[in-house]
Amino acid sequence: MDKRPMSPMDRKALKDTLLFTLPAVVMVLIAIYIPFVMSGYYSLTEWNGISRNPQFIGLANFKTIFSSGSPEFVNALVFTFKYSILFIILSNVIALALAVALTRKFRLANFLRGMFFLPYIMSMTIVGFIWKFIFTQGFEKLYELTGWGVWNLSWLGDGRLAFFSLVLVGTWQSLGFYIVLYIAGLQAIPTEVLEAASIDGANGSQRFFKVVLPLLGPSITTCMFMSLTNSLKVFDIILALTKGGPGGATYSATLDIYREAFQNNNYGLGSAKAIVFFVIVLILTQVVLKVFESREVKQ
Amino acid sequence: MKKLLCMLLTAAALLSLCVAPAMAEDAAEINMFIASPEYADAVNELIAAYKEVAPNVTINYETTQNDYPTLLKTRINAGMTPDIFSTTSGKEIADYAEYSYNFASEPAAQAMDPAVAAMMAYGDGEIHGFALKGNYFGMLYNKAIFEEVGIEFPKTLDEFEAACEKLTEAGYQPVTTGFAEWWVFKHVMQHFLDAATDDPAALVAAFQKGEAHFADYPELYDNFFRFIDLCVKYGDNKPLETDLAGEDSAFGVGKAAMMIGQGAWVEADVLAIDDALQIGFAGYPVCDDPAKSQIIGGSDQALRINKDSANLQAVLDFVNWWYTSDYGKAWFCDVAGVIPPVTDAKVADMQIIKQGAELSQTDGAAALSICYSSDSFNQAMGEAIQAYIGGSIDKDACCAQIEAKWVELDGPAA
Amino acid sequence: MAQDESRSRALHIVFLIVIILLACLYIYPVFLMVDNSFKPFKEILTNVLALPSRLEWENYTYVIEKMEYFRLFVNNVVITVIGIVGIVVFSSMAAYILDRRDTRITKALHTFIITPMLIPFQTIMITLLKFMNIIHLNGTTWGLGIQYWGFGIPMATFIYFNFMKSVPSEIDESAMIDGASTLQTYALIIFPLLKTVTATVVVLDVMWIWNDFLLPLLMVNSSPSSKTLVLAAYNFVGSLNTKWHYALAAMVLAILPSVIVFVFLQRYIVDGVVAGAIKG
Repeated sequence: MDKRPMSPMDRKALKDTLLFTLPAVVMVLIAIYIPFVMSGYYSLTEWNGISRNPQFIGLANFKTIFSSGSPEFVNALVFTFKYSILFIILSNVIALALAVALTRKFRLANFLRGMFFLPYIMSMTIVGFIWKFIFTQGFEKLYELTGWGVWNLSWLGDGRLAFFSLVLVGTWQSLGFYIVLYIAGLQAIPTEVLEAASIDGANGSQRFFKVVLPLLGPSITTCMFMSLTNSLKVFDIILALTKGGPGGATYSATLDIYREAFQNNNYGLGSAKAIVFFVIVLILTQVVLKVFESREVKQ
Repeated sequence: MKKLLCMLLTAAALLSLCVAPAMAEDAAEINMFIASPEYADAVNELIAAYKEVAPNVTINYETTQNDYPTLLKTRINAGMTPDIFSTTSGKEIADYAEYSYNFASEPAAQAMDPAVAAMMAYGDGEIHGFALKGNYFGMLYNKAIFEEVGIEFPKTLDEFEAACEKLTEAGYQPVTTGFAEWWVFKHVMQHFLDAATDDPAALVAAFQKGEAHFADYPELYDNFFRFIDLCVKYGDNKPLETDLAGEDSAFGVGKAAMMIGQGAWVEADVLAIDDALQIGFAGYPVCDDPAKSQIIGGSDQALRINKDSANLQAVLDFVNWWYTSDYGKAWFCDVAGVIPPVTDAKVADMQIIKQGAELSQTDGAAALSICYSSDSFNQAMGEAIQAYIGGSIDKDACCAQIEAKWVELDGPAA
Repeated sequence: MAQDESRSRALHIVFLIVIILLACLYIYPVFLMVDNSFKPFKEILTNVLALPSRLEWENYTYVIEKMEYFRLFVNNVVITVIGIVGIVVFSSMAAYILDRRDTRITKALHTFIITPMLIPFQTIMITLLKFMNIIHLNGTTWGLGIQYWGFGIPMATFIYFNFMKSVPSEIDESAMIDGASTLQTYALIIFPLLKTVTATVVVLDVMWIWNDFLLPLLMVNSSPSSKTLVLAAYNFVGSLNTKWHYALAAMVLAILPSVIVFVFLQRYIVDGVVAGAIKG
């Protein structure tokens, strides 16, 4: 992409830059950065989240996290990474496949897109309610019908299985979001590029892997980044389905922070964990973003 | 699309202008933000009735579900403490004491049931809360099934095991457990705590200081875990997946003969499934002594008055009216259908409440010992026992984990 | 040739059957939600999977009246419209300049604007309410709408930025040569070319804002003059006893308008808007 280098005389360009980004900068500052810095202060205090006087204790909370190892936090981090990896793979592969299918021209295409998008707007309480019944009553019926042992497993009551159930429902719930993004990306590919490939004798799968996929670079970056940040922050779906259970087997990092701050009444320690987690996420996402951006094919 | 957006935006701007003014005048406003959304309709009726009594007072009533404690903390810290808010009673009374009004000298406090008042006490004779309802905790059983199988409700653990065998033979699921919910365990555990000692408050305090151990109390170390094991053995197919709704359903349709971890609050739900259901209510079998099988009564939720309320007098007038007026006293039974937390009010005509009242007369009621611990601890305890049931830790590890959490979350250093 | 054609026709039919089956399976839980919203309470608890024995319209009439549906509907519209307009305008502006100028300043600004996506909302709840109270954006529909600018801009900017790359910079350069200012170029030339992305952003953000729960719960729950539909629907959800028949009906009613918007806006995510522009 040939961008104009900024010449020293081009002060107007700088003015434009600031003018165009000012509203966005001010708004994120107000809504997110200022509250974040304010709560960062509490990470330096011992505070239960209730009393009027947080007690300043310096870096003691951070020492607690790093020295005592905080096994619950570490477990939650491991869970979060495992969840994220599986979620990212599943949601991107399936969403891309469905997006390709749904951009084909057929009468029901629009309607079907809507169907795949619907779960995204369901409230989490309802998602939890419905899926609990599918896992219990639904699977029971399926077991009666088929006799397959897989339906008789306790998909929410066994720690290891609950992990897969959460990934499954999480993917189901947000797939529509990624489908929409991929569809928009696919629509932006000029048709003449595809036509040219066809004329050159490329078959369907060749066209997809050699032409479409490379041109989808920006969409893939977007979806990877979004699925990464969303899965690292996973919270609602767990609260709706397992509440971190059974026996604490499904606590994610955010849920652990929430538990520390609001249930255990250690708001200070919870804030410190939040900051540590934020730094981890920041590093991870920057790496992923760099990798994918460097692979994009320039149009 | 643009035109549409323009139109909508203009409409929005106009609307927000219309909405902005309003209110004003010198009338008092009470912001009431409490948990227990299941009583929303009843509370709204109460507020409507109060409007007739005090037309100048506007009560903004707000309720919410699980996120309540978080939201309350958020509001308090933003300087928006509600005039009336709720916490759990017992241990949490102290946590919020610096925000709550001591109304020991108000008529409402005098009208309060002494058992309820005990849970609201703070320091030297101060009363820092009132209750929306009293409660009964115990085991529910299906009277028809027990009659059909020809057994009495078990009062000892051996009888319990024998009853489970008989019920299984007769083709019933003996118990339904709700072990997917962390709070089911605190409701069960308190009965065993009460059996373990004459002074559960002191025992819990010892646990919180790290001075007491499960192994020293057979009622906890042996009986409680035996009870849990039996419930798993004779209970739901997927114990850690069965929640309150699953319990309601298994008990309501007459599949399960006993229901644990619950109390008076589930009656309406199971009757909604089968309104002819004959519900029996009893204490837990906790040991070999049938006399120790007692129900538990009291109030585990507290409503608190913000002591810095801008309209403190108006709030107090409302609460006094609620607890002492004829309408207010009758409201508990007639509108909300709950156990009145006040003395000299009539008792609702519900199966569990009636049996609970009778049983506490004849057999006595045990202490509401969940209130000596915080819910932070209770949740951690529930998770530890879930891990035990799931098989990821053994009994000793489970006990050690519970003991450690008691010190960590409720101990003197917390 | 004729054989080939019939083979591809057959393949197409197989494809249609598979994708329709898949969609039906996928939508089944949503179907269950609607299905159960028409049952009496008892039937929901005893058999979630069955069809209702009769349609219980009373669930809906009761809920519409109880939640003051039409009044709250207006609140939702106000919040969503204010939120969307701000997000779309400010994000596309920022993304445009961030893509076209490649300097250290724009790189820093880019990072600054999209990084908040990484901050879990729960960690700033307490201080957010505190701060919004100070600057008086709390408690009103328009205030909440403005707050959504801050929460929506990071993601929207990120999406716009990545799609902006496929809009060739020759287009705005030629406009500049014709004497248009940067603002004119953006507003008159570039923004119209972003229809597909804008439709995508609008769809995603309408769904999010319309159905959001936690932020409205913090900011506007206390008064019916500012409450949203989802908040009202949640009043039927109890911590112990949930009236599922009402809760489900209320949820269906709460999300229905956003589904209609989705179906309507779908048409704007159409083929090759950008490609067409290049051709022209």
